[in-house]
Amino acid sequence: MSDPNTTSDGGTVVADESLVSRWERIREREATVVGLTAIAVALFPWLFARAPVVSDVLLGYQSLATLILIWGIFAVGFDLLLGYTGLLSFGHAAFWGGAAYAAGVVANNVSADPIVMVVSGTLFAVLLAWLLGFLSLRRGGIYFSILTLAFAQMLYYMSAAPLAFLTGGENGLTGITVTPLFGLFHLESDLPTFAGELLGTWLYLFVGVFAVLAVAAAYRILNSPYGMVFRAIRENEQRAEFVGLNVWRYKLMAFIISGAFAGVAGSLFTIHGSYVPLQSLYWTESGEIVIMSVLGGTASLFGPIIGAGLYLYVENIVSGVQQLTVPFTDIVLVNDFGTYWHLLLGLVFVVVIWVAPRGIWGAISDVREFVWDRVGGDRR
Amino acid sequence: MSSGSESRSDAPSLLETRGLVKEFGGLVATDDVSIDVKRGERVSVIGPNGAGKSTLINLITRRLDPTAGDIVFKGDSIVNLKPHQVVQRGISKSFQTASIFPDLTVMENAEIAALAAENGEFGFNFLTHRDKLTSVHELAENTLESVGLLSRAGTTAADLPYGDKRRLEIGIALAAEPDLLLMDEPTAGMSPEETQATVDLIEEVKEELGLTFVLVEHDMEIVFSVSDRIVVLNRGRVIAEGTPDEIRGNPDVQEAYLGGVEL
Repeated sequence: MSDPNTTSDGGTVVADESLVSRWERIREREATVVGLTAIAVALFPWLFARAPVVSDVLLGYQSLATLILIWGIFAVGFDLLLGYTGLLSFGHAAFWGGAAYAAGVVANNVSADPIVMVVSGTLFAVLLAWLLGFLSLRRGGIYFSILTLAFAQMLYYMSAAPLAFLTGGENGLTGITVTPLFGLFHLESDLPTFAGELLGTWLYLFVGVFAVLAVAAAYRILNSPYGMVFRAIRENEQRAEFVGLNVWRYKLMAFIISGAFAGVAGSLFTIHGSYVPLQSLYWTESGEIVIMSVLGGTASLFGPIIGAGLYLYVENIVSGVQQLTVPFTDIVLVNDFGTYWHLLLGLVFVVVIWVAPRGIWGAISDVREFVWDRVGGDRR
Repeated sequence: MSSGSESRSDAPSLLETRGLVKEFGGLVATDDVSIDVKRGERVSVIGPNGAGKSTLINLITRRLDPTAGDIVFKGDSIVNLKPHQVVQRGISKSFQTASIFPDLTVMENAEIAALAAENGEFGFNFLTHRDKLTSVHELAENTLESVGLLSRAGTTAADLPYGDKRRLEIGIALAAEPDLLLMDEPTAGMSPEETQATVDLIEEVKEELGLTFVLVEHDMEIVFSVSDRIVVLNRGRVIAEGTPDEIRGNPDVQEAYLGGVEL
């Protein structure tokens, strides 16, 4: 062998187990990831909307916390396609809005049980993703993106006019009354006692369970053969084909899986608002999910959720700020600050991408790695 | 991995092309090419630029559709298969450039190919944790060991020096557990030391795995040292075929390909 360094111990670095490296290994474990996610999801609405001081500064409220989780689910699934498989869909509004409408139509005509709504919305999104993926994935690169955009816009126009009898046309789908969960729990009412203080509403609990499940599923997918194949396709599609993988079917699966996540999120969006705006199918929604993912950091599990949170925060909280003052004083910096929220979002986006091209999560990882190196952590 | 080397003369054909023709518009890139590769044999395809070597490789790997003719592998025609299906049948290709997965680790690079070999072209195992696929990991590990990269298993592939990237590329091709390995100029762009290391690697793989391979190469030294048989192409046609010694002394070859230069 021409490489004299080859050892027979399997190449594994037999490192002395420092505390940091042990933590690194635990952190990688599935139960840890899911557990920490559950804790974060449980603490989030309290910190955001009710905790002393923190919530006063953040100006958060319960319903926005729920909305952030819903978009977070959407973003996690979207990143499986964009970040890991390297396919930029510009038509994911089709699955988000399609599922939202499907859940709403089922609620108005069949059953308004929240679980039935989520299942039917997701099922619709999966079938739609299968069809649109089958048609769009025939082309690569920018052509794929344009095809997805075109199909999603077709759906938008379909629900605006020809299908208005079903979708409510320009007015969106109204009159949705979601029935209690398991026939017992009204989603809009608060959870009892301590849980109510922490989580707030039943709706948040309902959405939170799906959010944790979404993270668990995504984490498992990324650690399954699919995770590896997706990244291989992103890195070198031709090579992936020439090791004997059916790249076309894996790409279709990536598209369908991300469509399923969008479907869960879209259905929850209908339950959350008891209403489906026509805009949920519009191309701007497809654009928003791209921006959220890139802002938070693609090819990471949590980056897109953070991106979704930041985006919605600026859109909903910052846009409501009348005057920007120097903190804890009355000195006014900018009047009508909130009306500039689009501009602010653009600035945030530009700065993040400049400073940290891998998004917020990428920056966090870099800082963590830097600190770990300092304290003698052993990566790998 | 395929086992042992049988005696070559009476060994069955592993790969056969029958009257293979490929036209691009008016240009005939491959003109009635029939070659026959026996199991366990090492065949080199040489020829000047534009002789149709790459086209021949692309036809065999099914990247291109032939205009006429047939390709038979292990007794079955593979002319209607897709590229990944050909790999699944047992024809693996090492690319001219270091075609690897740059952002993945060396181990993951090998695991991708091992996955395809162990798991087939596709599966619905998206909720199966990778740690359960021990056979995939073992195959990847063995492959890395055989190309001498096991000690770099955790390195990101993009960080390897060029020679090691090429070795990894060959490793990826081997991890697919092929019966036949097509090597497209394995030493292109390598330094003399890296070239020597690659020749050693080919020799080693040849001994250890008893692999059949078809080599397309410019470097005559390599061709003459590793081949059992040499096929010479010129303008899309086979103009000579024989052992290295026969080819060395063939005046047609010297005229057409080597420009009369004495080897």
